[in-house]
Amino acid sequence: MSAMGIAVPDQVRGPVITGWSAVSPYGIGRDAFVQGVSSGRATVSVLDTDKWPGPDELACLVPDFDVREVLGKKGTRSMDRVTGLAVTAVRELLRDETRQRDPFADEEVAALVLGTTTGSAQSMMDLTRDTWINEAPFHVDPGRFPNTVMNCAAGQCAIWYGLKGPNTTVAGGRASGLLALNYARRLLTAGRAHTILCGAAEEYSPARSWLERHTRHPDENATVLGEGCAVLRLQPPGTHPHPLAELLCITTAITHPHHITTTLAHTIKRALHQTRLNPHDIWAVSPSTPPGTTADHERNALDLIFTDHTPHHIPAPGPIGDTAAATATFQITTLLSHHQQHPQPPNRIALITAIDRDGVLATALLRLL
Amino acid sequence: MVLTGFGVFSSIGVGAVEFAEGLRSGRSGAKPITAFDTKGFAHANGCEIVDFQPERWIRNLDVDELGRASQFSVAAARMAIDDAHLDVETLREQRGLISIGTTDGESFDLDQLVESEIWFGPENMDATIARRVRAGRLSAAVAHELGLTDVEAVTIPTACAAGNYAIGYGFDAVRTGEVDFALCGGADAMCRKTFAGFYRLGTIAPELCQPFDADRKGILTGEGAGVLVLESLESALARGARIYAEVLGYGLNCDAYHQVAPNQASVARCMELALDNAGIKPSEVDLISAHGTGTKANDITEARAIREVYGDLPPRTISIKSMLGHTMGAASALAAIACSLAIVHGFIPPTINHVTTDPECEVDCVPNEAVEADLRIVQNNGLAFGGNNSIVMLGKYEGVR
Repeated sequence: MSAMGIAVPDQVRGPVITGWSAVSPYGIGRDAFVQGVSSGRATVSVLDTDKWPGPDELACLVPDFDVREVLGKKGTRSMDRVTGLAVTAVRELLRDETRQRDPFADEEVAALVLGTTTGSAQSMMDLTRDTWINEAPFHVDPGRFPNTVMNCAAGQCAIWYGLKGPNTTVAGGRASGLLALNYARRLLTAGRAHTILCGAAEEYSPARSWLERHTRHPDENATVLGEGCAVLRLQPPGTHPHPLAELLCITTAITHPHHITTTLAHTIKRALHQTRLNPHDIWAVSPSTPPGTTADHERNALDLIFTDHTPHHIPAPGPIGDTAAATATFQITTLLSHHQQHPQPPNRIALITAIDRDGVLATALLRLL
Repeated sequence: MVLTGFGVFSSIGVGAVEFAEGLRSGRSGAKPITAFDTKGFAHANGCEIVDFQPERWIRNLDVDELGRASQFSVAAARMAIDDAHLDVETLREQRGLISIGTTDGESFDLDQLVESEIWFGPENMDATIARRVRAGRLSAAVAHELGLTDVEAVTIPTACAAGNYAIGYGFDAVRTGEVDFALCGGADAMCRKTFAGFYRLGTIAPELCQPFDADRKGILTGEGAGVLVLESLESALARGARIYAEVLGYGLNCDAYHQVAPNQASVARCMELALDNAGIKPSEVDLISAHGTGTKANDITEARAIREVYGDLPPRTISIKSMLGHTMGAASALAAIACSLAIVHGFIPPTINHVTTDPECEVDCVPNEAVEADLRIVQNNGLAFGGNNSIVMLGKYEGVR
């Protein structure tokens, strides 16, 4: 630790991550994710083109994820895939972490903050398509209309599990997971919630894959799309006997594509400055490793910061594909999986970096407990 | 926390001055929709902005790279900064938050892509349009246009309460001193998808939006943007800024009940949260700007929730959606601006198109004609699909206390 450091070991000041779960191409639930990270196995599969009539031959899908089979037939007739992924991830978190099977009671007001790219582009485009191909333009499925609004997944999670606290959806592309975490942190600081489920979700769909196909730069052509939802439980310090990690800080910036390296390096320096840490205090780094040359800029920024030592590299959750909005939350769950599999002495500090195509940069510093 | 600059695009006026005139005179933005093909719908009025010239406001970005909602948000942010007499160079040296709420993001563009897909196949999508659709761009583009680097840009797509969410986020970020300023608000562009969805639900009014009227028939979809400059009182005083209003606090909760139907108890609870957060009693509130969509269900539920909190003599409760339609993610941001202008200029905007108040909506909605009033505290309601409620409390700035 630095001499100036934050770190009397047991003095936890920031909000703490007290649990997590994930629905990912590794499978449903935290154990499946931890095992997947441990093995690093590939999850890519050849798509059934009847079911997935898009431009992709390959994708990383949550295996056998059928909303009605996973969640049952009640209340799922019109549920879209991204909503199903989010509801399932919240279910798994409540099951794993508290053995909680029932919705929250009225007095335990839990909040939910969920990151997204654009909700379900598939649901939105399907509804418009129906206005053109059906007999009359208003012959659309009213049950599916709510799916076309980007807060659908978060609202449904609240309905399923009685989450009556603040319920917020945030969009910042690949940085969404960290923007959601920052939003959650501010909710705690302002005293607007005491337990926050915070994560991000992205579905695979033909609509998303076509939008991707038409917007990719040539250097991004090797991208394989993934999907999933990861959710963390965030609580104030001192409210949980065995927190997993402390959120020390989040910094964000906006950059022009030509300035990613310098802006990201600056954003990391701000995080270190705010926490009075030095680069050599950082034990591990988890870069978002976006497709194409952007990953080089990210690596260059890290090289600018870490000149004297090389932190451990927590690989981006690459084997589950490009999970877009969910990427940064999966970076955190990957870090926590590593920590679970290979416990370190407490107080090791990890840096998470996220870069979005539209110029949003974000970093987080987490102290593993 | 005070509001010092407004950017406004609405069907009843562009800019704070024109918007205030529109509100005071009870102007109606309703007219036949031209934004998309309405053939096959028995009726298709909306509150469209027909003469939007983004180039007038967007100086640095290529407007063709921005969807219509992003054009609205960027133009409104530029206007808000000009209105606040803020120097962009100064902002570049400060830390900021840009939070823009939306319901549909760039669904207007998704509509275009679907239409092209039907005719020409998905392999022939227009790449320029496809690049515009990610929701994060509504806020990121504001930063790019203004050349702001040291900012957090986040889009908050919490549907029809999103504007209030974005203002609330700005409030929390500025209050702790983490950021020096916030550009917050909401933006949406009219789209066929949402019109068809509401039409199918039977909630699009044939001609006019008549909140709280016994004969109300639903919403009119609208579009536009409202962006507010939020800064600390100290910052505003130090630079001699004009102060429109104070943000006193806000409340946030979720019904966890139904995807589209509001829940009375939960809406009432959100009002209590907002009152508590602002440290005020119900008796101190002079006006409520209702979510007031003009649907049967919303107006009854909202009016009952208001009476649950305020008792039998609630403050006057108006809906500016009667004038500018339901501007979706922009709605509560534009309403917050309307509340502030009402405070500054000492009037209550009317609920227009009003004939007979529904006995089940027992509120004084200030029918048809604005009234003069000295307003000290105003409550701005935002309710949304997904049970996402956000309510902002605004106060008159009465000098250093």
